Amino acid sequence: MKKFSKKLLTISTSLAIAGTVSFAHADTIKIALAGPVTGAVAQYGDMQMIGAQMAIEKINAAGGVNGDTLEGIIYDDACDPKQAVAVANKIVNDGVKFVVGHLCSSSTQPASDIYEDEGILMVTAASTSPDITTRGYKMVFRTIGLDSHQGPTAGNYIADTIKPKNLAIIHDKQQYGEGIASAVKKTVESKGINVVMYEGVTAGDKDFSSLIAKMKKENVDFIYYGGYHPELGLILRQSAEQGLAAKFMGPEGVGNKDISTIAGAASEGLMVTLPPSFDLNPENKSLVDSFKAKNQDPSGAFVMTAYSAVQVIADGIKLTKGTDTNAIQQALRSNSFSTPTGSLEFDEKGDLKSFDFVIYEWHSDGTKTALK
Amino acid sequence: MVEASLYFIQQLLNGLTIGSTYALIAIGYTMVYGIIGMINFAHGEIYMIGMYVSFVAITGLMMAGITFLPVVLLLALAFSMFVSSTYGWAVERVAYRPLRGGNRLIPLISAIGMSIFLQNYVRLAQGSRDVAIPSLIEGNWSFGPADGFQATVSLMQVIIWISTVISMFALTQFIARSKTGKACRAVAEDLKMANLLGIDTNRVISVTFIIGAALAAVAGLLLGLYYGVANPFVGFIAGLKAFTAAVLGGIGSIPGAMLGGLLLGVTESMTGAYFSTEYKDVVSFGLLVLILLFRPTGLLGKPEVEKI
Repeated sequence: MKKFSKKLLTISTSLAIAGTVSFAHADTIKIALAGPVTGAVAQYGDMQMIGAQMAIEKINAAGGVNGDTLEGIIYDDACDPKQAVAVANKIVNDGVKFVVGHLCSSSTQPASDIYEDEGILMVTAASTSPDITTRGYKMVFRTIGLDSHQGPTAGNYIADTIKPKNLAIIHDKQQYGEGIASAVKKTVESKGINVVMYEGVTAGDKDFSSLIAKMKKENVDFIYYGGYHPELGLILRQSAEQGLAAKFMGPEGVGNKDISTIAGAASEGLMVTLPPSFDLNPENKSLVDSFKAKNQDPSGAFVMTAYSAVQVIADGIKLTKGTDTNAIQQALRSNSFSTPTGSLEFDEKGDLKSFDFVIYEWHSDGTKTALK
Repeated sequence: MVEASLYFIQQLLNGLTIGSTYALIAIGYTMVYGIIGMINFAHGEIYMIGMYVSFVAITGLMMAGITFLPVVLLLALAFSMFVSSTYGWAVERVAYRPLRGGNRLIPLISAIGMSIFLQNYVRLAQGSRDVAIPSLIEGNWSFGPADGFQATVSLMQVIIWISTVISMFALTQFIARSKTGKACRAVAEDLKMANLLGIDTNRVISVTFIIGAALAAVAGLLLGLYYGVANPFVGFIAGLKAFTAAVLGGIGSIPGAMLGGLLLGVTESMTGAYFSTEYKDVVSFGLLVLILLFRPTGLLGKPEVEKI
């Protein structure tokens, strides 16, 4: 027995030595990819994950960062604020110092409290709520625009181009949906457009017949919806069934192929504000081909912004020649980064200095064409 | 004036549609409570399974080349009722029967566990994304002036009303006239006594679960066609609403469940119509609290008499 344990000790010591030897010169830098892998908005999570994974792969293939390789670890928050906090704590416990995520603003907000306290650098590629960066946090960045930009883009288009007689603004009472709906309301009202209805629905609801009848009665001819596609898809479908003749518009949270699956023909002509189609930019052609070679769709709204998020982290590590997140956050604020989503510069809050949204018209087969 | 009344009628019809389906699901809660005095929290999940199974059946039949709609829907309904009933029966067998006779709280916890289990089981098996089927039943009628507000009734809504009325009528007849129905009433009145008089109470309880599940499957198919989408979490909210409807009407009473369902549906619709959609849950649940304050047994419930 004694002999055996001695033997065991030798084996484990030699293993430990082998371990230190093999990891001494090439470390892996872990990046947490946090977002919904399951749940109702998992398709947005997919966009983020494939974009980020591709960036990690490309950076590693090009020799890594300062000789170290990046490793992406997926954490599922299901777009649930409670689960996002649990995920954030797990990331802390796992010793990960960089996060790409989260996706839903209502998840990003509570999770970022933890990252700020623990000195973990977070770059979100999808959360557009302005509140996330207004708290003076040092560790919070984003590679996408804000609702406060997206709202006015939509609002100006409604007021200047569509000029509806009776506009209804509907939202899902969540941070993202209500935030953007109120931004649209402010913009159109400043331009003298008549908002006849401003109401919230409950996320997860299935029956909107009462709301639709009300919109019919108010002779609503244009509806802006702040929220995600599962609810808007049903509203579109039920509006068509109940004979409500009105056009709809929504933010990037409604712009994915599932809305056409849910609403079918009723999704034709829906207007959506989305980040520009970075995948159509000729400069990104070789990158787009790499996605296509892996049978992945590079056209998702958050694919390229997630790619940029990883790249910004990697460039920050390169610039500071280390993984000290405090040094990196200073470097991010004082440099510009060349990425597939353009040349990025961050302001004091951690937001991009400029980011444009584009208005697209959606088609029932899940494709889109740019309007402006 | 015409416009205002048409609008009222439209909202009433919308409320009756959603209320009918609440009623169908509520039957399952109320029958189980009436007989064994427990709340089957997994019932909403049976409804969700009914919806998934009917989607699978409709898609399968269409792919097999059967496109005559009434046949497709009847076959899908039969299949969905069969599978859901099997689940209802199995849930009782696995999760409740072994615990019967003990503290009432124990099967309640078991029911909540079953609900979580079924939700996640479907999520893993089918994925957590929304699945959708195209609108199969199209067509509607509009009433009112061509230039003003028109009330619209869709064929699907009419089908929901008719199916609900048929199901309710069949259930009432079954309970009132058949031998098993009589046994159900006897067991509901006094389980021990019924047992002593030679009624196979275990069988009666199984039948109750099967009937409840079959009606939930009817609701699953109807609402699946009406909304066109399903996800593994639809059962939770629907179950909660149906449970509320059952309590509102008087839990344990079958006519009460029907009344409660319709009342809840119409209240929700009217709140959305004349107040704000945001407050529809506040108003419906506020109504529930009010009714329970003045009639603790619900609208049609009988006060429980201590059995000696």
